Amino acid sequence: MSAIRLRGLSKTFRKGFWMKPMHALRGVDLSVREGEIFGFLGPNGAGKTTTIKILTGLIHPSAGEAWIGDLPVEVPESRKKLGFLPEGTFFHDHLTGLEFCEMHARLLGIPRAERRDRIRDLMVRVGLADSEAKQIRHYSKGMRQRVGLAQALLGDPEVVILDEPMSGLDPVGRREVRDLILELREQGRTVFFSSHVLADAEMICDQVAVIVAGRVVETGYLADLLGRQMGGVELVVEGLSEERWQELSRASRRSVGHGMRHLFEFSDEDTVEKALDEVRRDGGRIVSLVPARRSLEDLVVERSRSVGMR
Amino acid sequence: MSSLLQILNRIMVLAQNTLREAVRNRLLYNLLFFAVLMIVSSILLAELHLGHSDRIYRDVGLSAIAGFGSLIAIFVGIGLLSREIDQKTVYIVLSKPIGRWEFLAGKFVGLAGVLMVQVVAMGACFLGVLWLQGAEITGGLFQAIGLIYTELVLLTALALFFSTFTTSYLAGMFTLAFWVVGHLLMDLRTFGAHSEVESLRLLTESLYWTLPNLDRLDLKAEAAAGLTSQGVHVVTALAYAACYSLGLLLAAASLFRRRDFH
Repeated sequence: MSAIRLRGLSKTFRKGFWMKPMHALRGVDLSVREGEIFGFLGPNGAGKTTTIKILTGLIHPSAGEAWIGDLPVEVPESRKKLGFLPEGTFFHDHLTGLEFCEMHARLLGIPRAERRDRIRDLMVRVGLADSEAKQIRHYSKGMRQRVGLAQALLGDPEVVILDEPMSGLDPVGRREVRDLILELREQGRTVFFSSHVLADAEMICDQVAVIVAGRVVETGYLADLLGRQMGGVELVVEGLSEERWQELSRASRRSVGHGMRHLFEFSDEDTVEKALDEVRRDGGRIVSLVPARRSLEDLVVERSRSVGMR
Repeated sequence: MSSLLQILNRIMVLAQNTLREAVRNRLLYNLLFFAVLMIVSSILLAELHLGHSDRIYRDVGLSAIAGFGSLIAIFVGIGLLSREIDQKTVYIVLSKPIGRWEFLAGKFVGLAGVLMVQVVAMGACFLGVLWLQGAEITGGLFQAIGLIYTELVLLTALALFFSTFTTSYLAGMFTLAFWVVGHLLMDLRTFGAHSEVESLRLLTESLYWTLPNLDRLDLKAEAAAGLTSQGVHVVTALAYAACYSLGLLLAAASLFRRRDFH
């Protein structure tokens, strides 16, 4: 069964004095399988946050339907097994970390006997055990993100939706969030997250969808998407003569030179073999030889350009 | 479907959070300080005035409770809902399995609790001044304070209603305007009745029946004069305020349910 399903989801906002329509989503169809990490990617203003807000009941769709599990998102019960971390860590600053989690645990109806233990466990897990008595207003951005994650996991959710969970975090914080997302998958939970940090998404996602200008333009398993149009080899060499560098540049699909070092991308193995012979003959040193791989960033940029964004 | 007990529990959690937020708000203490200062200053005013000192204590004290209570209801009340929306803390609350009306109800109950604490604190200070000065404490004073609290609760419902569809600034201005007009409705109606312009008469009459008539909840003058009003008058005023507040809350819930949080 799908953990999240969107069918023909559209949202039009009316802006300004003349109520000019602004189409944020234009018929989004999507299905997220249970127990997977799903990356929802796209440039700014593509419709990622609007989709997430519809899933979490903060925005009403203009058309189409959305389900969490088998419940439509209009029903508050659909959020019973949902954990959500919004973008921007907007929390009740007057509360301490502990009071904040306590309040949300009570809203979720977690019995008193379980509440304290579950909060303590989560505070330890997100590394806030020593700061739980501090008011959130005194937390750093990373700490706010972590207390937000703790509240998102309070209800033992089957589906966790994270809006830009790595935004604004330092490398250590990003790694911690990444590890936590992987841990959630190991526990059998579904994680749906939006991100601008494509390298992180590439590392952890099973499936991704690329949304551009309110339309999903690409969706599928990462290996399949990045595997398409793959092929070719990337060769990095040092100490080539100018003449040989020019020659190999002409034979390659792409070439970049920096000081003594040169990178060539060849589209087929025969050309690579020939290039390797040329390099050896010229007295150059082979630094690396790896299969050329399209990155997630290439995919998103490519698809954004194809629909005229950026 | 959620059981009634679960719904009540969630409303109480949100009310407690509202109460906690208000208690940690400095504006509230500033307003309270000035209210207490004004109540205590009635002693000085009575000294400067010849005769009727009891009336002055009561007049100034009740006016301070009503005036500062209204400011607290309007500005702290609006702040507590608008801040949730402006600062987007509402996102995380509404993404929980709770109905939007429960959120509004929680805010309303919390604010009513904040106002109750305020009125009790100001009322205790006021009665303390009267007792220290040896002035008579009549039942009318309790009636007046009770109806001041009722008016504040109605103002809170009004503030919540406006906060559901407009900015905090406009919600504050609208509520303030309704508070002023609500105390002038009787005069407006009398003015309209004496007018020869039919449309003006109709306008003042319709305003009288649609806007909250806060004069019905005002027993300050009677209480200051040492009078106690008839129970039926108090009960009617209470019923009027309850119905009006409920109507406002239902309208607010309907608007809030349809609202998108960008």
